[in-house]
Amino acid sequence: MRMVNLRASYSARRVALVLAVILVLGFLLLPGQLQSVFQQMGSPLGWIISWPLQVVAGIYDRIADVWGRYVALQEVEEENQQLKRELDLLKEQNGQLREASVATERLSALLEFKKQVLPASVAAQVIGRDTGNWYKTIILNKGSSDGLQSDQGVITPAGVVGRVVKTTASTAVVLLVTDPNNAIAGLIQRTRDEGIVEGTTQGQARLKYIPLLSNARPGDHVVTSGLVGGVPRGIPIGTIIRIDKEEEALFQSAELSPEVDPNRVEEVLVIQSSSIPTEGERLGVPKPKS
Amino acid sequence: MKALIYFAVIVGLVPIQSVLLPHISVWGVKPDLSFVAVCLVGLIAGELDGLLVGLALGWAMSLFSAQDLISGAVLKGTTGFVAGLAGRQVVYLSPIVLVAGLLVVSCLTGLVTPFVLKLSVQQDWWWAVWTVVLPQACLDAVIGGLIYWLMWSRLNIEQLMSESRM
Repeated sequence: MRMVNLRASYSARRVALVLAVILVLGFLLLPGQLQSVFQQMGSPLGWIISWPLQVVAGIYDRIADVWGRYVALQEVEEENQQLKRELDLLKEQNGQLREASVATERLSALLEFKKQVLPASVAAQVIGRDTGNWYKTIILNKGSSDGLQSDQGVITPAGVVGRVVKTTASTAVVLLVTDPNNAIAGLIQRTRDEGIVEGTTQGQARLKYIPLLSNARPGDHVVTSGLVGGVPRGIPIGTIIRIDKEEEALFQSAELSPEVDPNRVEEVLVIQSSSIPTEGERLGVPKPKS
Repeated sequence: MKALIYFAVIVGLVPIQSVLLPHISVWGVKPDLSFVAVCLVGLIAGELDGLLVGLALGWAMSLFSAQDLISGAVLKGTTGFVAGLAGRQVVYLSPIVLVAGLLVVSCLTGLVTPFVLKLSVQQDWWWAVWTVVLPQACLDAVIGGLIYWLMWSRLNIEQLMSESRM
């Protein structure tokens, strides 16, 4: 039978109880002093405990690190995939918004240009290129049912694109200004010398029949003269990049870099008006009093 | 049924030629799928089919080009007719022979075209040969050979030719 010393236990309990009461009262009545006492008493103990604590903490960190990096990777992988999907979606939306923004700017410029320059013109979209290799043409999504006819000029806000050579009810074929079979009357803006602009086989254009006495030079801008080609006067064609002057020739010629890159044209204006306004009328210059 | 297939070929080839091929052209030159189609139709189905499909396809392609309608139709029609006559003379046609044949016929057609179209003086014969005729003939021959090889490996061409020509 187990013997229990109730007396000793009772007195020890009593002592412990008294000490606890004193401690509680001490905490309540003298909190600052007791805390500093305990702090000082605990410093060596804390230093001793800190060693195994750091070891355990290090182990825990390593385990947590391993868990986070490798064991819990499944969740991270899923999260990563989800984030990638969201990123792709946002990229796609961003691309669409950029494209919409660019298209809006382009169409606004075209609309503004149409309002201010050409009252009778039709906006059309490029839907294709020549089916053969012999001509440089573009195909428009508007045709004879929209009022398009052969020999009508085709322009963009940047400059001349070409002229309509063929139409169906819903499409039109435009011979580009860079095609060697195309010819438009051109004018050097600075010197006012006129000539004929033809395309070249290298995809550029050439201003021919410039008078020998002309002082045209590279960098001069060439615009339409409005005489031939169904395009009003003053629409940019290109910039002179080289002057060719042959001995004993009656004229000089100039190689042009076209203002419009035909490979990048997306929307154009087809000039329908039979009475093409003059440069003065277009620019709003007051007419001289009669 | 045959007419429906020809109609589908004509309607389908024009958008492919004008919208898709310019994006995959080699050195600015694209193959002439209508030429390949007309040659294959002429070889397999005979000179009459080749002529009619050539005329129709040449006309349809010319509608979407600066090329005049009549020359386009006549050139393609003639090509189809010649292909039909050539097909009648051969008993067995391997893809290699077809490639060589397409190369020669495409070159000949390409050499005739600048004179028929009365192009600019800049586009002289020498320019035409090096810039358009030879590259296009090579592309036509490769594509035509590929299509014929696919048909040759999957279909009984001799039987198809004899049935089509009846």
